[in-house]
Amino acid sequence: MIDFLIGLFLASLIVALFTSRLYRLLFWYSLNSLTLGLLALFIGEELDDKAMLITGIATIVIKAAGIPYLLKYLSQKFHLVRQIQPEIKVQYAIILIPAILVFTFYLSEPITHMIRSGSNDIAVSISSLFLSLLLMMEHKNVAPKIIGFLCMENALFLLGITATDGMPMLVELGIFFDLLMAIVVINLLLHKEEANQ
Amino acid sequence: MMLALLIFPALMMFAVSFFKNKKAKFLLPVTSFVILLPMVKLFMLPKPYALWGSYLVADRLDTYVLLVSSIVGIGVTLALLTLEKHVRVSGNAYRRFYRFFAVFWIGLIVSILANHMGVYWIGLELATLSTVYMIKTNHTSAAHKEAWNYMIVGAIAISLVLFGIILMYASAKPVLGEDAMQFDLLLAHAKEIPSPFLFEMGFAIATVGMFVKMGFFPMNLWLANIERASFYPVAALFSGILESAVIIGFFRFSKIAMEVNYSHLFVFVFVYTLLTIFIVSFLIFRAKDFMRLFSLSGVEHMALIALFWVSGGTFAALLHFGAHAFLKPALFLSTGVLESNGKYRIAGALRGYVGKRGTMFWFLVSLFLLAIISLPPSPMFFSELYGFGAMITVAKESDHMLAMIGAILFLLILLSVIFYRFVAVYQSMKYEGKEEEKHVYTSEIFALLLFALALMALLLPQTFSYLRGIA
Repeated sequence: MIDFLIGLFLASLIVALFTSRLYRLLFWYSLNSLTLGLLALFIGEELDDKAMLITGIATIVIKAAGIPYLLKYLSQKFHLVRQIQPEIKVQYAIILIPAILVFTFYLSEPITHMIRSGSNDIAVSISSLFLSLLLMMEHKNVAPKIIGFLCMENALFLLGITATDGMPMLVELGIFFDLLMAIVVINLLLHKEEANQ
Repeated sequence: MMLALLIFPALMMFAVSFFKNKKAKFLLPVTSFVILLPMVKLFMLPKPYALWGSYLVADRLDTYVLLVSSIVGIGVTLALLTLEKHVRVSGNAYRRFYRFFAVFWIGLIVSILANHMGVYWIGLELATLSTVYMIKTNHTSAAHKEAWNYMIVGAIAISLVLFGIILMYASAKPVLGEDAMQFDLLLAHAKEIPSPFLFEMGFAIATVGMFVKMGFFPMNLWLANIERASFYPVAALFSGILESAVIIGFFRFSKIAMEVNYSHLFVFVFVYTLLTIFIVSFLIFRAKDFMRLFSLSGVEHMALIALFWVSGGTFAALLHFGAHAFLKPALFLSTGVLESNGKYRIAGALRGYVGKRGTMFWFLVSLFLLAIISLPPSPMFFSELYGFGAMITVAKESDHMLAMIGAILFLLILLSVIFYRFVAVYQSMKYEGKEEEKHVYTSEIFALLLFALALMALLLPQTFSYLRGIA
């Protein structure tokens, strides 16, 4: 089940890279977060780690439901452009994405030997980090860049879960708090975005 | 109790920022003054002093950085009193600036006092996010674009730091368990880390994230453009306070990395900082306005601090850090007057000052400009002497003495390019251009005097012995 969820996590991010509609992108981000939350729940149960279970629930509530809903609300409030065409053409992206995946699997090989947990999980989280960066780079609009940043945060969260069997609870909650703060700041920045349009 | 005292003034500032009464404007700087009191108290307490279990622990290094930052904060709020006299700023934007300044303070206190990698990151992220809105208080398209730019690039940089922290934590977790996040325990058990390669990789990634945040290679112009687009007090906060929170993280991580493998750390930081100074020196040579000039000079100084630190010149690095933290905000704040009415001209910027305040202003700015290029008796002159001395000492202990002398000579050539540019700028400011009358306000003079006094305090024998004690 964990392998399936990790595959789904990566797949949702890859599909997000080809998406040209804002709401569809929000859906893929939501699915990405949902798989991450479920992963935390499964791994937490396997390790009998209550902190990770709480983190998993918080991920599902905040990241899979709360943030996508809030971003959709903000995009409606500020009339953000919903047609978000990636700058990298599909034919190039088809070559680039597998190249990134192969490169990161190769790059993370020495690290995976040093970490006891599943080696592929770490490679997937590092490749997700690069793919999230690509998502930020391939769009000119602000909204996909925000989602790229949120996906990057998800990738780091996955790395935290897989490489370290979970970070301390305080750190996980702190990251959630900072994420909410980021949403507040994004809201304030979008006020001007509306005025500029 | 002490932690509550430290955070209370920031909470007070946050609350006062909601008052719409015009007199509240004068109350806001008072809250900034109040921040200094618990800082001084903390500075006097015996170290290490646990503020919140093992998460927040005050030691000699972080109380020094916090004291310096609180003095800079007072200077900035003094200059903020007359912000509307130099630039167009609405009352609402002004209050919001303080609201986020309060959040910034809380993030800063947490990150500087953190004895825990995760808590450090949370504080740094909070401080970074709160500065995004400060950039946007300037209602121009350029500032708006740069606020987004800062949000996105800052988020990438801070994510790199978290990525590095996770790897470092993973490397030490088999030995220390969940305590592998604590700086002091990591330092004590650095030699026992089972996978040093993983730790070093995490350190390198976190360091690149921190260096990007400070405008090092390859993001040299990133910070300069942001500071150009925002109001001058924001630039002063960036250079005097936010960078302090970043560099203290570098100090802490590198202390552990020194124990893991010193030569790897030294070569990595040495090459990175040298490359940064190489590029920055030519960018400074081409800079055509004050903000970019001072911002790029700030990058150069942060690179020197990192270099001195890894060379074992702790005293030199901390002295240089203190001098930079006071000098750069002083210069950024003076740009409000130097660029009166939005004029970016360098020529004649130090002319046209009348009265006692005017004379005092150009005199102090001249001193700061000459101090920033390390002319004696600037603290930077002494810190560079000690710093280069530390580099030679490191080389003596290795087999690379000639390479180090070559590198120091190369560095001196680059520093002389910067020196030449600053002297040329100073001459242009004082002896060229048209003479136009400029207004200097009392609060600005107080801010500059505060920085001048703080700089002089850095040269006191007591300060020297305190800084040597940190080493």
